[in-house]
Amino acid sequence: MSQLANYISDKRQQKPILSMTHVVYGYPTVKDSLDWMATLLEAGADFIEVQFPFSDPVADGPTIVAACHGALHNQKPSVEECLTDIGKLARDFPESRIVLMSYLNPMYHFGLEKLVKRCAEENILGLILPDLPYEQAGDLRTYCDAHGIDPVWLVTPVTPKDRLAFLAKEARGFLYCVARSGVTGNSNHNGEKQQSLDEYLAEINSHANAPMGVGFGIREKAHVDAITGKADVAIVGSALLDAYNKGGKEEGLKLFNSLFD
Amino acid sequence: MQSNNGYYGEFGGSYIPEILYPSQQQILKAFEEAKNDPEFIAELKDTWQNYSGRPTPLTFCKNLTDHFGGAQIYLKREDLNQSGAHKMNNVIGQALLVKRMGKKRVIAETGAGQHGVATALIAARLGLECTIYMGAKDVKRQYPNVFWMKQLGATVVSVAEGSQTLRDALDEALRDWSSSHEESHYLIGTTCGCAPFPEMVAFFQSVIGEEVKEQSQAQFGQYPDRLYACVGGGSNAAGIFLPFLDEKNVEMIGVEAGGKGLELGQHSIRLSHGLGTKGIAQGFATMFLQDENGQLQETHSIAAGLDYVGVSPIIAHLAQEGRIQMKYAMDDEVVDACSLLLRKEGIIPALESSHALAGAFKDAPNLPKDSRIVINLSGRGDKDIFNVAKAMNDETFPEFLEDYLADYKDHLNNADKGEA
Repeated sequence: MSQLANYISDKRQQKPILSMTHVVYGYPTVKDSLDWMATLLEAGADFIEVQFPFSDPVADGPTIVAACHGALHNQKPSVEECLTDIGKLARDFPESRIVLMSYLNPMYHFGLEKLVKRCAEENILGLILPDLPYEQAGDLRTYCDAHGIDPVWLVTPVTPKDRLAFLAKEARGFLYCVARSGVTGNSNHNGEKQQSLDEYLAEINSHANAPMGVGFGIREKAHVDAITGKADVAIVGSALLDAYNKGGKEEGLKLFNSLFD
Repeated sequence: MQSNNGYYGEFGGSYIPEILYPSQQQILKAFEEAKNDPEFIAELKDTWQNYSGRPTPLTFCKNLTDHFGGAQIYLKREDLNQSGAHKMNNVIGQALLVKRMGKKRVIAETGAGQHGVATALIAARLGLECTIYMGAKDVKRQYPNVFWMKQLGATVVSVAEGSQTLRDALDEALRDWSSSHEESHYLIGTTCGCAPFPEMVAFFQSVIGEEVKEQSQAQFGQYPDRLYACVGGGSNAAGIFLPFLDEKNVEMIGVEAGGKGLELGQHSIRLSHGLGTKGIAQGFATMFLQDENGQLQETHSIAAGLDYVGVSPIIAHLAQEGRIQMKYAMDDEVVDACSLLLRKEGIIPALESSHALAGAFKDAPNLPKDSRIVINLSGRGDKDIFNVAKAMNDETFPEFLEDYLADYKDHLNNADKGEA
């Protein structure tokens, strides 16, 4: 079983739902983002999903797009620095885990094999690349298998049933269950729910070979409660960033505590 | 050109968020069925002919030919399409496909606004709801097109993110599609994006080259020796080149935007001179202008339709194979070429198409007198009136604009009073 999946199932013995908080590396500066990650880890976040910024983040909504562009404005964050920085955090907070999220291009440019090797060295056990579908990820899967890293696949409410079953079976580490159509965060591009979240999660659960994380649209305690018992990890991205943008770490922490206390 | 499971050599493919998988599969299936359905093809041809004015002429340019004293110069007149550019060929095809799929709404990205206008036109005609994404900078540069899109009933969304040009518009259109895929079709304007878009757009644009084949046979009894096309996203180039791929004696020259210089940010040269590097973004693999960290970079061209950061995977592949030669033309050469065509032939070319002219004009004097070249005049230049006037340093234009503005404001003031 994967290290990430083991970690989740062990921790789930003590907690009904785990937290995955999202931070854009380099936003508003590299130092600030690392500081914010450390704050969240001190507050007991089980996971940090670190997004390495890309100029064209097509699966993200306005909050995260603005943060990515902010992170790329007047500074040039590099993948190597990011891995070194978050690897240090991973060592400082051994009770938590850090996963890396980005888009394919900066990772491809860095070199996928090198990326996976470096992730393994820094104990970054999961990789989320929303624009790399399973079918196109043959090379990445080979590298990940060799280094014990988990590529995290996404499923959505519109994923055809046979494909959903396939991806759920192929899941390593955890399966990222997108809760609704659209992009991350509040935007004009939010789709309607296709079916009840309960039915959707139950359907995934019947096939899943790994723990389940749920993201997209988790903004308040009621949303976390709604998936508790039906999934393993609640993923909070844009809402946390909105709070951070509004009142810095203090406001962000307030939201985190209200969601996961 | 048939792809290998969505790939052209090492380029192309399908790199899209999982949420778009079912919609993409639906398009793949619908396109496969439609292109083999004689009824669909008949409707396509009928609409091309009776709505857009196809076939467009192949025009011999005697004055230009005499001027350069080399190759005989012909223009493929895509500027004479309804909407004033080759963009119409593709939007007609895709919009008919939208009807076939039973969708009610189209989303499109636009750079210069030509694709946006073309989409808004066909949407109005076929009764489709229409949303156009356009970079905020392009909205400013090409406001007349924005005006017409709105008049045609389209919603125009100005994209203020990132570089505020075509690639940001494309990102935003993809985001819209991620939430609206069930009732909306992403009507992409060029031979880019995830499979099957490059293949599908190239299929609809290939009517250009197919007509050139017939017309060149009819007019001079053989195929042209050389074809020229400007390359932004690559759709007009794919359209004129692809039908000639197997004709080994036909040389193909693509002309990119050299802009103001070869420094990153000053041009849109992705294929010639090793300035672009392979990347995977916006749904597909191709040559992009990017920095050492894989961040896509800003581009420049005097022609808003050419400043795309990536390029068609089909063109990237054919350039890599050496089947297409890639060149570039600088902003000032482009304005000169535009000016020369105006004076010699009485044709107003788009600044995009003027890149193809500039590339061909450089070669023409050195080519044999009995050789024949066809330049794809992909669009007409009326839309560029403000930018061309500025580039030509015309001193009378600001005066006109000031007078016009004063009169316009008076008119609006009087209208206000009238209502009160």
